[in-house]
Amino acid sequence: MAERPEDLNLPNAVITRIIKEALPDGVNISKEARSAISRAASVFVLYATSCANNFAMKGKRKTLNASDVLSAMEEMEFQRFVTPLKEALEAYRREQKGKKEASEQKKKDKDKKTDAEEQDKSRDEDNEEDEERLEEEEQNEEEEVDN
Amino acid sequence: MAAAGSGTPLEEEGPSGEAAAPQPQAPTSAPGARLSRLPLARVKALVKADPDVTLAGQEAIFILARAAELFVETIAKDAYCCAQQGKRKTLQRRDLDNAIEAVDEFAFLEDLSIPFPDITVS
Repeated sequence: MAERPEDLNLPNAVITRIIKEALPDGVNISKEARSAISRAASVFVLYATSCANNFAMKGKRKTLNASDVLSAMEEMEFQRFVTPLKEALEAYRREQKGKKEASEQKKKDKDKKTDAEEQDKSRDEDNEEDEERLEEEEQNEEEEVDN
Repeated sequence: MAAAGSGTPLEEEGPSGEAAAPQPQAPTSAPGARLSRLPLARVKALVKADPDVTLAGQEAIFILARAAELFVETIAKDAYCCAQQGKRKTLQRRDLDNAIEAVDEFAFLEDLSIPFPDITVS
């Protein structure tokens, strides 16, 4: 399964936006420079992944986690990224937690509703059974009279 | 930092990497707490391209995406310094090359003239 090189590039529009916001107003960027930065970003991710993976393997883990990536940043001499990354991670965890709680709440509400509906249904069934029994008794009485 | 290894393993999402419009992640509720703008699916594809990587947790992918953003900002600003010296308002490829040469942390980027690094994915 060969990956085409363009699959491993990050979207140009997003890269351009990040660059423009990092630079003062009125500054432009040539297509070649933007393309080179985009490729540099991909190489950065690959290099960081490889570094992070070393930390994971050292910890005898098969799954890369956030702290592996942070350790990789320090190893790559990008310590200045560590603090903003930690903050972003906290925000991300909060958001994930919020999403999880929201969906659990929804599920709880749904279950409560289903339970209430089932109770009503079983009450109706009991009533039906009673009515059938009454009808049978009446029929029996009639037969006796005939005899 | 308590790393409890709580990252969930990735699930297969199907083919990604089409050249269509980028899909930015959900906007944040809190102002200033900017979550990643780079699509996590693309970052995940890059991570999976490494044959030594078995699995990567969602948090790891997210941090890599955010780190890549910070990297782009950093290298753009460094390259801009060179352009400024030449009194230009447009960043050129050579500004980037100069920045890579000048900044130690960018050493891993040397020789970006090759179209893409030598990665073989079997």
